Amino acid sequence: MSGADGNKSSQTELSSQVFLDLVDSVIADVASECHRVARLGLDRDLEVVEEELRLSVEARAKVADPSNNLETNTKFVVDIFGQTHPPVASEVFNCMNCGRQIVAGRFAPHLEKCMGKGRKARAKATRSTTAAQNRYARHSPNPRYSPYPNSVSENQLASGSPGVAGEDCTVRENVKGG
Amino acid sequence: MKHSVNRPPTPDKDDAAEGFEKDEVTLREIINVKLVESGEKENLMELVRDRLVECGWKDEMRIACREHVKKKGRKDVTVDELIRVITPKGRASVPDSVKAELLNRIQNFIVSAALCV
Repeated sequence: MSGADGNKSSQTELSSQVFLDLVDSVIADVASECHRVARLGLDRDLEVVEEELRLSVEARAKVADPSNNLETNTKFVVDIFGQTHPPVASEVFNCMNCGRQIVAGRFAPHLEKCMGKGRKARAKATRSTTAAQNRYARHSPNPRYSPYPNSVSENQLASGSPGVAGEDCTVRENVKGG
Repeated sequence: MKHSVNRPPTPDKDDAAEGFEKDEVTLREIINVKLVESGEKENLMELVRDRLVECGWKDEMRIACREHVKKKGRKDVTVDELIRVITPKGRASVPDSVKAELLNRIQNFIVSAALCV
């Protein structure tokens, strides 16, 4: 380094260099931060947000249309008055068999259980009818009222049939005799 | 023709030039090392960052970055690209007051460092 001026100029140059280095570091920081934000999609500009909103609205419309077609045909049918009928009837009324409050949409399964298509109901019914028929058998001939081909009722038939056969025989004898 | 014509130039000049450049580079390196060692570089960095944020320079740079990102598309941008884009504008748009303050501090440091050496 030669003279004082040279010194100063080199000094200023040096300090400018240092200053520029510092500024470059800050610029790199800012660029890195903006790059991260851009890639992750964090900081949205208004335009970007608007565009993405538009795209999402379009996408939603596309998704909605085919599903609307399906739904209007199957579930939410709109009639000419503009009324929609929900798929499951929701009115509540009283069952005429057991007297309970039943939702209309669940009435058929309830009737199955209530009137005796189900296993438990059948057993209950036959138990009650067996008791009734036994009572009848003791007093009067069995009118052969057993609507269910249950083992119990078959036994009942077996027990009842000799009586019936006997009746038939007597009828035949009567016919033969007469 | 004498082969001496094709002889490479005398090394004295080159040496001097290279020496001068080397001196400059080494001087820069020396100052850098001194800055880091004394912790002054950290202080200066913090000062620069604060001043540039205060005056809104950082926000301007971020806006410029966003503009570039909008043009290029979010997925294609690289850090190098962003740095390349905003460096000339950034260097030019530093407020004079900030520059003066920083230069002052750096020069003071150099002087004191030179004295200590």
